[in-house]
Amino acid sequence: MTDMLMNWAYCLGQALALLLLAPLVAGIIKKVKAALQNRVGASVLQEYYDIRKWWRKPTILTPYTSWIFLAAPCVYFVTTLAGACMLPNFFSGNMGLGDVFLFVYIFALGRFFMAVASMDAATAFGGMGGSREVYVAAFVEPVIMLGILSNVLHTNSTSLGGMTLDPAAANLTVASVLTAIAFFLVVLAENSRIPVDNPDTHLELTMIHECMTLEYSGRLLSLIHWASQLKLLVFLIIFSLLYFPLNLPLVLKVLLSACLVSVMEILNNKLRLFKVRVYLAAAGIMMLLAIVAQ
Amino acid sequence: MMQVKPENLRGAANICSNSGKYPLAAMFGVDETLRGGGLAIYCLFYNAEKHTLETLKTVFEAEGDLSYPSLTTLLPAAAWYERELHDMFGFMPEGHPDLRPLVLHESFPEDFHPLRKNVDVNAQVHGHRDYEMLVSSGEGLYEVPVGPIHAGIIEPGHFRFSQAGEAMLQLDAKLFFTHRGIEKSVEGKTPEEALLTVERICGACSVANTLSYCQALEKLSEAQVPRRAWLIRTLTAELERLYNHIGDTGNMCAGVGFSPVISMGTRLKEEIMQLNELLAGNRFLRGLIIPGGVNYDVDTSILEEIDEVLVDVEREYINIEHIMWEQSNFINRIRTTGHLRSETAFDLAMVGVGARASGIERDSRKDMGYGIYDELDFNVVTETAGDVEARLRVRINEAKESFKIVHQLIRMLYRDDSTELRVDLGRLKTLRSSWGISESARGDNVHWLMLDENGRIDRLFVRSASYPNWPALPIAVQGDIIPDFPLINKSFELCYACLDR
Repeated sequence: MTDMLMNWAYCLGQALALLLLAPLVAGIIKKVKAALQNRVGASVLQEYYDIRKWWRKPTILTPYTSWIFLAAPCVYFVTTLAGACMLPNFFSGNMGLGDVFLFVYIFALGRFFMAVASMDAATAFGGMGGSREVYVAAFVEPVIMLGILSNVLHTNSTSLGGMTLDPAAANLTVASVLTAIAFFLVVLAENSRIPVDNPDTHLELTMIHECMTLEYSGRLLSLIHWASQLKLLVFLIIFSLLYFPLNLPLVLKVLLSACLVSVMEILNNKLRLFKVRVYLAAAGIMMLLAIVAQ
Repeated sequence: MMQVKPENLRGAANICSNSGKYPLAAMFGVDETLRGGGLAIYCLFYNAEKHTLETLKTVFEAEGDLSYPSLTTLLPAAAWYERELHDMFGFMPEGHPDLRPLVLHESFPEDFHPLRKNVDVNAQVHGHRDYEMLVSSGEGLYEVPVGPIHAGIIEPGHFRFSQAGEAMLQLDAKLFFTHRGIEKSVEGKTPEEALLTVERICGACSVANTLSYCQALEKLSEAQVPRRAWLIRTLTAELERLYNHIGDTGNMCAGVGFSPVISMGTRLKEEIMQLNELLAGNRFLRGLIIPGGVNYDVDTSILEEIDEVLVDVEREYINIEHIMWEQSNFINRIRTTGHLRSETAFDLAMVGVGARASGIERDSRKDMGYGIYDELDFNVVTETAGDVEARLRVRINEAKESFKIVHQLIRMLYRDDSTELRVDLGRLKTLRSSWGISESARGDNVHWLMLDENGRIDRLFVRSASYPNWPALPIAVQGDIIPDFPLINKSFELCYACLDR
């Protein structure tokens, strides 16, 4: 019993540590992007300042919202934190809580609440963002599940920790390369990055994730941003653990994959909205090929 | 000039436009009551064959009936002009399909017509009237309101999209939010005083506005502007075109989140703006062009610097171009997006990049032959596709032509040993109508003016390049999806301040 509690405590502690680091990783991505454009860019700590700024600002609620509007950012934050708890523990060496199916769908729960809340204030933008988010998610989820399936077949384990004991990337095969590329494409889509969404844009009409959060302000907004940053970090860690093709220390791998996100965002422009499914279908086909290649 | 009775205006317009062959370049009112006349409407038709704007005039009795048969159903380009005439003077175009207010929004009273002479320039009015946006309705359709305050640092404009899912069925734009009353405020000023205002109508077309205004004034004088002044004026006009086109090329990529090109475009624009500062002491080239010539000469050292910097800028600009054409995702975004038919562009009497990308060869530098453009070797760039890609190609190739022109001008300035920079315009002809035209980066820019008995401005009308192009935007977006709107909008690069004059 105490073992289990200790285990939980370790996982939660690690998730909280990641939560504290997440804005830094987001800041590094922005800094690298700026450098690649020959700009100086904001400090890597800027994301912390932003979160603090929003935290101090009052939250303005439209009178037309229900409890969902208040609950959604909290659910999104908590589910993302719970997802972070499922990573294998780097301190105690345990396998993390839950299995990959729970991992995928606990993020889906957070997304569901955000999509519902986006319609709650009944603004045109919110609905637009919600519908786009769900449209992208409908293509992202099967691809992630395929990727996980290929790992499950490979390692005979459904826990993230179990998979990391024998990561697909340990041997450089056709299958591991294909899954690595495909999973990275999905990471970009899942975390609203270019070429699927543009995290920097102020063009309301083209946004997906930012469209959903337009009505939020103050603490609720800071929760959403913080959770999004954590989500990105969690996905980068999974990518580094399972798919990163070089054998390096984990911290380095995460930093390199963060830089890869920056490079991808510089090299690409945003896809036409209806081309996103082609992009994700390509990722899905690569995943299928990887399973077949095993 | 042709003058007709109001009831014959429509027929006369048909003749003057040669059944629509000569596009309507401007249409505006003049209050002539103070000197015993009535309220007049002037129409200017763009006659490229004769290198001139043909004038058609009609006068209404001031206290009488101000209605006349609308020109809009004959010449669709008249739609906005007639709405503005309705707002500013109270003219009533019978049969106009959409007579909603254009300039004076909800907070103005119905019977307030500010450009009439009996209205004080500082008049304070409050009112309430309806302003309905045009929307589509039906099962599954919804509206998306955007603006007038936008998330970026841009000017105010309200857009109402009628949506079927992501597809835009209809777009209605409500503009003119920050109407500044510039045309009213310069009335009674001397031409020199008004110059300061004219230079500031729009930041990005400062030279074009000044050049049109100065040409209109110079037509009222016998004096000839010296050649060296025209060399310097043309140099500034082309530098203005360059910094606009290069900045706009980068800006267009902001619509698709293609960040390297955005940064590179901004940087190159900045290099040219620093040249502007070297040349004129400010980044918008103000204060250099004056009626009768230019204010001061350009040093040889500055010319050398411009020559050198522009060679680098051009090389890097071509580099940007390669980056764009090699990006298949980017081409996928811009090809076929925001398609505008040539017929539509023609009907709306569009100007500039928007018109030329839809196959209309209209460039006042060639058509009107003002200044020294007939001595310069350059081409009018056109494309036929009419989509975002075509507008981008026209913009890029036009910038390349401008590089060519600037290098020619610099050589001509080296060779030119004259020193005369300006002439005294002497006593200007009063109570005579006069117009000036110049090609801004966004298309031709028309100024019309008349001086009163004392040589002060009686009426100044400004038709910026964005004015005829704005109505094309709602037509170009139809059938595209709403996430492509920022891209289509940026491909036209329309100016709000140019409307809010």
